[in-house]
Amino acid sequence: MKVALFVTCLVDLMRPRIGFAAIELLEAAGCEVVVPASQTCCGQPAWNSGDRAAAALLAKKFIAEFEGFEYVVAPSGSCADHVRSEYPAILQDEPDWQARAVALASRVYELTDFLVNVAKLDNVPGSFAGRITYHDSCTGLRSLGIKAQPRALLAKLPDVELQEMNGAEECCGFGGTFSVKFGEISAAIAERKCANACATGAAAIVGGDLGCLLNIEGKLRRMGDESTQVLHIAEVLTAK
Amino acid sequence: MKLRAHRFKQNALEALANPVLQASMKKAKGKFVDKRAIAIKEIDDFEATREAAKEIRNRVIENLDLWLEKFEQAAAARGAHVLWAKDGAEICRLVVDIGRKHGVKKAVKSKSMLSEEAGLNLALEAAGIQPVETDLGEYILQINDNEPPSHIIAPVVHKSLDEVADLFQKTHHTPRKTDIPQLTREAREVLRQHFLSAEMGISGGNFLIAETGSVALVTNEGNGRMVTTLPRVHVVITGIEKVIPTLEDLATLMRLLPRSATGQSISNYVSVLTGTKAEGESDGPEHLYFILVDNGRAEVVGSEFQDMLRCIRCGACMNHCPVYQTIGGQAYGWVYPGPMGSVLTPLYTGLENAIDLPHAATLCNQCGVVCPVKIPLPDLLRKLREKQVERHLRPWFERLAFRLWAWVASRPALYGLGTRFAVRYLKWLADGKGSIPRLGLAPEWTRGRNFPTPEGRTFRELYAQRGRA
Ligand code: SF4
Repeated sequence: MKVALFVTCLVDLMRPRIGFAAIELLEAAGCEVVVPASQTCCGQPAWNSGDRAAAALLAKKFIAEFEGFEYVVAPSGSCADHVRSEYPAILQDEPDWQARAVALASRVYELTDFLVNVAKLDNVPGSFAGRITYHDSCTGLRSLGIKAQPRALLAKLPDVELQEMNGAEECCGFGGTFSVKFGEISAAIAERKCANACATGAAAIVGGDLGCLLNIEGKLRRMGDESTQVLHIAEVLTAK
Repeated sequence: MKLRAHRFKQNALEALANPVLQASMKKAKGKFVDKRAIAIKEIDDFEATREAAKEIRNRVIENLDLWLEKFEQAAAARGAHVLWAKDGAEICRLVVDIGRKHGVKKAVKSKSMLSEEAGLNLALEAAGIQPVETDLGEYILQINDNEPPSHIIAPVVHKSLDEVADLFQKTHHTPRKTDIPQLTREAREVLRQHFLSAEMGISGGNFLIAETGSVALVTNEGNGRMVTTLPRVHVVITGIEKVIPTLEDLATLMRLLPRSATGQSISNYVSVLTGTKAEGESDGPEHLYFILVDNGRAEVVGSEFQDMLRCIRCGACMNHCPVYQTIGGQAYGWVYPGPMGSVLTPLYTGLENAIDLPHAATLCNQCGVVCPVKIPLPDLLRKLREKQVERHLRPWFERLAFRLWAWVASRPALYGLGTRFAVRYLKWLADGKGSIPRLGLAPEWTRGRNFPTPEGRTFRELYAQRGRA
């Protein structure tokens, strides 16, 4: 199975190891992984801020780069959903492009969804000992139905104890540019998330979207918590 | 109501710094959210009911003029006067005229959001007609110097018991009570006099029923019944979008409204009021007026925001909104708070007057998931953002930032170079620490949390190296 990996701009900049972890997992599932070299950003920040022109520019770039592949996988529910659900709307005034967007949409997957439902990964290469809690990122959860997939994968690690937090499905307050426009409100929402997560006594808060994770980690550190780890699920599954 | 939506950010900061409000919001959140979750399980075909409700509302809104005409005819046939108001000022003028015509000195009011839109209480006072709010929450706000409500269902959800106790003591000149039944009893005693002496009752309406010309009122306090049956004159003020075709449609919507709002299977009172008091009847008004209000609604019909007109004002979207839960309703600066308000306020009062509201959401879509009539609130918020950009209403640096980002991101070589420098710079700034406490590039972000340190090399760099190795 030939899979193109969309690394996402946040992973590219902030946590490259998540990208490598994703490659390892996909290869462990028997996929041939290609990373198109010219990829940059899916354009989600522009679209969510109302800049259709900028969003369309990056959408076309993405489509041209990735439409040749059987599958496209991203270690982020919100980026995968942006391509799947929003590209056709972004390009609604350009029928040719819109058709290409629609043709691509159903082949784009979030990483854990792909590993469980398409590639059917059996042997998870990583290991993690201890208690973790899982934050369900909003878009992945509500738009792509990602809930059981990461848990199924984590269950394959014998020493992981998953302790669900109160309000696991509640927003962490990141919201892309929301956290930059309304820092204090966003941080107050993140505080609630951190309190719920820490109440589980978990050594690590795990999630599938780096944006949320950076938000949660930033809040934890500001609260003086230097010990609770905040990890992308791909890191846990590969021990990267 | 005075529009304060342009001060959203400032309002929100004040709310965050208000410990009483913070404590009250925390308490309220669990109550609404948990009770709804239980109540919707009572309906086997919840999703199908939602779909049916959406269809009922769409059916009306797609032919709004026809249904309104039908309503007008049916209501007139039962002795009611149907009047039309273009905006808030016209609502005020019509109500004052009705009051003058019937020699009204006092008007008792049950909850009406349209009256808030119009700032009706001030207009009545100016005309020498004393308005008395009789919904307990609204009454508390009125005696607190006409404070604006913070929720459409629970207007004083932001207030503590202590605050209410103080307010009652001060206003009623009675010994201070902190027992809730005692406080409500005291309010009831005060309000009873008003019910009996008012010549006019003013109410809103949850739905207007076209086939019978009736108004349906859904409440939890008995005040709605008093207001609509005791005074000689009853004035109903609603938005034009509130009409539904039949009583059967009302039954469908009523399966969803209380469950979505307060988590009740049914509210304490559901009144369907039709026509004036007929001969031989013992209660009901002698004169019944409907004021059907546009105030920005007609323009939404047929626009890309039409979905919003389906709203049945249940408040579920705000109860489930992480932003609302954190800052409360007054911060939104107008009649409607939360996600629904963030769409309605710009639509009804002008995009330029509520510049922050469409952005005051994380787009987590919790609101869209709970909305009983399936309004795609995040999509509408995003569309409003797009309209703002089109009309150059956003700050220039913000518009430039996204243009610039897209310009760079569409040039992979430049992007690669830029990001290489950026991550190195950030890593250097962190100076060996795991996170950066203050970042000039993202001052808002670091006001409430640190900025995690990047690894220091971009993925594309490392991947290219790996390829060479
Ligand atoms: S938008 Fe939906 S959830 Fe919000 S108040 Fe209206 S009907 Fe209720």
